[in-house]
Amino acid sequence: MLARAVMADGGACEAQKRIGRVVMPGEALLLPGHAEADGERLRLAANGPQKGRLVCGPGLRRGGEGLLVTKCGLLRYRGPGSGSGGVYWVDSQQRRYVPVKGDHVIGIVTAKAGDIFKVDVGGSEQASLSYLAFEGATKRNRPNVQVGDLIYGQFIIANKDMEPEMVCIDSSGRANGMGVIGQDGFLFKVSLGLIRKLLAPDCEIIQDLGQLYPFELVLGMNGRIWVKAKTIQQTLIVANVLEACEHMTAEQRKQVVAKVLEN
Amino acid sequence: MKETPLSNCEKRFLLKAIEERKRLDGRECYDYRNLRISFGSDYGCCIVELGKTRILGQVSCELVTPKPNRATEGILFFNLELSPMASPAFEPGRQPELLVKLNRLLERCLRNSKCIDTESLCVVAGEKVWQIRVDLHVLNHNGNLIDAASIAAIVALCHFRRPDVSVQGEEVTLYTPEERDPVPLSIHHMPICVSFAFFQQGTFLLVDPSEQEERVMDGLLVIAMNKHREICTIQSSGGIMLLKDQVLRCSKITGVKVAEITALIQKALENDQKVRKEGGKCGFAESVPNQRITAFKIEQAPVDTKDVQEQAEEIIAKAFPPSEVMATPVLWTSGTAQIGEGLENSWGDFEGSEREEEEDEIAQDEPITVEDQNLETGDASVRTRNQKDETIVLSDSEEEDVVILEPEVTNKNRTETSPKQDTISKKTGGKKKKKRATK
Amino acid sequence: MRKRYGEARGWIGAMETEQKKCDSGDLPSLRRIVCEQGLLSRPDGSASWMQGDTSVLAGVYGPSEVKVSKEIYDKATLEVMLRPKVGLPGVYERSREQMIKKTCEAVVLGTLHPRSSITIVLQVITDAGSLLASCLNAACMGLMDAGLPMGSLFCGVTCALDADGNFTLDPTAKQEKEAQTVLTFAIDSIEKKVLMSSMKGTCSVEQLQQCVAASQRAADTIFQFYRDSACRKYSKW
Repeated sequence: MLARAVMADGGACEAQKRIGRVVMPGEALLLPGHAEADGERLRLAANGPQKGRLVCGPGLRRGGEGLLVTKCGLLRYRGPGSGSGGVYWVDSQQRRYVPVKGDHVIGIVTAKAGDIFKVDVGGSEQASLSYLAFEGATKRNRPNVQVGDLIYGQFIIANKDMEPEMVCIDSSGRANGMGVIGQDGFLFKVSLGLIRKLLAPDCEIIQDLGQLYPFELVLGMNGRIWVKAKTIQQTLIVANVLEACEHMTAEQRKQVVAKVLEN
Repeated sequence: MKETPLSNCEKRFLLKAIEERKRLDGRECYDYRNLRISFGSDYGCCIVELGKTRILGQVSCELVTPKPNRATEGILFFNLELSPMASPAFEPGRQPELLVKLNRLLERCLRNSKCIDTESLCVVAGEKVWQIRVDLHVLNHNGNLIDAASIAAIVALCHFRRPDVSVQGEEVTLYTPEERDPVPLSIHHMPICVSFAFFQQGTFLLVDPSEQEERVMDGLLVIAMNKHREICTIQSSGGIMLLKDQVLRCSKITGVKVAEITALIQKALENDQKVRKEGGKCGFAESVPNQRITAFKIEQAPVDTKDVQEQAEEIIAKAFPPSEVMATPVLWTSGTAQIGEGLENSWGDFEGSEREEEEDEIAQDEPITVEDQNLETGDASVRTRNQKDETIVLSDSEEEDVVILEPEVTNKNRTETSPKQDTISKKTGGKKKKKRATK
Repeated sequence: MRKRYGEARGWIGAMETEQKKCDSGDLPSLRRIVCEQGLLSRPDGSASWMQGDTSVLAGVYGPSEVKVSKEIYDKATLEVMLRPKVGLPGVYERSREQMIKKTCEAVVLGTLHPRSSITIVLQVITDAGSLLASCLNAACMGLMDAGLPMGSLFCGVTCALDADGNFTLDPTAKQEKEAQTVLTFAIDSIEKKVLMSSMKGTCSVEQLQQCVAASQRAADTIFQFYRDSACRKYSKW
């Protein structure tokens, strides 16, 4: 009973020990840097002032002595790299998207208003997109965008107090894959967690699917996936397998892919 | 909230897929989605899942006086609700066109087809009949609400049991379920709606359209039929022109689908009946699939509450008892009384001194208590206070002037009361205030 | 006392099948809990919560677009809708909505999503006692499933006191009817503080404290349930 109470409490636990485990809102995580002795050791190891700071990612807030969990999910950590002191974040299977600066998303154009397009990205507010924010666009040479078109772009402004703004060019003015997505193909929605999983480097799911047949795939951080294969049937298969990946283990997925390959 | 708009790309893809006779979920054109029926622990309660579309049905009954023109008939009432849970586009308190259309179609399908014997619902002709109410809540909208709603309604009606009644002379006795087993409604047949979506001006046809398919369809044909292949209602909407043989083909398909669905409903009802008869567990908790990863169960959990009493006692012992407050009402005049001390005013200095002036005055005319209330003195005090009130009101109305004027008045006052303090001038106000605070 | 559906809104053929076993000594116990998350495809988060025969379904939308008239410039607009099974929502539902709303507002970090709306729709599926507590639990699971930021979790516990002053946890509809006092508390997960309390009937201060203490104990079991079901949900992730 006692052990159980402590568990339910979440009673401040060391962050290191909970990496990869489920954390619940309200749980407090202690950071090792706070303990006096640890701090000493770290400084000695780094030989001088520690470079970079520890970043507290989505689903976590600073609170009290360490971190406060605000979302239910798995605690993740990426070790200190160049210039950063490591990142903690919570990986959750959320469905609703909240715009984040720098995220690449798929939006649907809902209106043309003067110089800007209004784009639905699935957040609480529509994003704005200037018609000049396309590669090679000038005042005279406007991009051909219609209401209902799909846009693959990046957020340059996204914070809770301002209207989000998208662009379809990178800092050097190049499209870099962004812009209006072709008229064919199919769009569907999955959880944000699955998208992050798919976008991870060397994602097994994508590799497994790649064995089937060639197809085009655009992944938006807002949970939207656009896919296009040679035929409608093939497009549908890819879409259905990806949708089903939400609650499948790697083995189950491999079986499914093998089955499709057989047919 | 707005619904996510449908992109051109989705539209085009859907139509192309339909042309190739492919559907998003891998169904054939004439396939129905999976139908799942589960029952609650109450009678007349069911949840129907048609793919991801989910509808809750509940039947209830009440004894009411019948309509004068139909003295021997019970009343059937349908109420379909589009809960905002079902789709972000459904707003509370609004009656969209879709809702009206669905409710009307349901009434036509179930009430006008006389599937329920309304005469058997009569208790005393012209005085008491049963009103049967069917509430349907859309929990998740993923297309084809009408089929799911009609199935939910008829399943709930079949599952329902009303309390038994007996009439002896003038007396109507209502029996509780413990006294007499509740009785089922008498149902003649089970009408079920089947929807057909038409695309490209009726060239392509799909049975049981999903939400996305509904968004790109040109027209909809709904046929309600029972297992005896009797058409109960037919409705075409969307303004497409259908050929005679198209309608005939649809009605043939409906016949097949209705037979399948009726068989499924009967099986589900029988299963539930069996479980209840055997005294087994029933209710929605039983129908939650155990193996589903998102579902979790725990059995009855005892809670260790042995030392709860001690804990409570400890808290009470530790807590400070509330301080005793003596309420001494003071009657200033007839009709006004004061309880408690009132709040201290913390405004500027002059106001403080003004208060003091007030206090002086109050001290002069002593508060009158109920016992020695004298009419004359009472009147007098009212007058003095009225005068006082008037001055305050006046000074209040001349906003800025007051600030300049008042210090003079108070100074005067002070010189009168304490000539010594006059020499200290400004600081007096502050000191006085402190004093008052300590009082 | 509030009339049950049977009396106020027409008779629902209720089956009093539920009977608490008392095989675990004389300890008060919670009925069986079953919960399924993310069962609805349209809302951002959903949960169906069943304790005993009582069952509530929650659907959560947010942070989503807000109506201009309801917009708050520095925090999210939180709305709770409680929908009865029979008839339209009335005063009873409105008052419960307010209680649940205030509880949710206390834990949801609305300041992180200003000018947006968070909508919680609760649908009563079966009322077999401890309905308010079930609504609170369903709302919390729904919020968790939707991934909305929360400072802590919360749960609802109902206690019933009979005429002799003996208390029952998580009473059935029958027990609630016979009880002298029915108390419902919302309890937070960090310090087990009482976020909301609702009471029907009379009881002494000591009895009240006893019920609070018992509810806090029961909350442990519920929070553990929350954790276990989350662990199961993320087990294949």
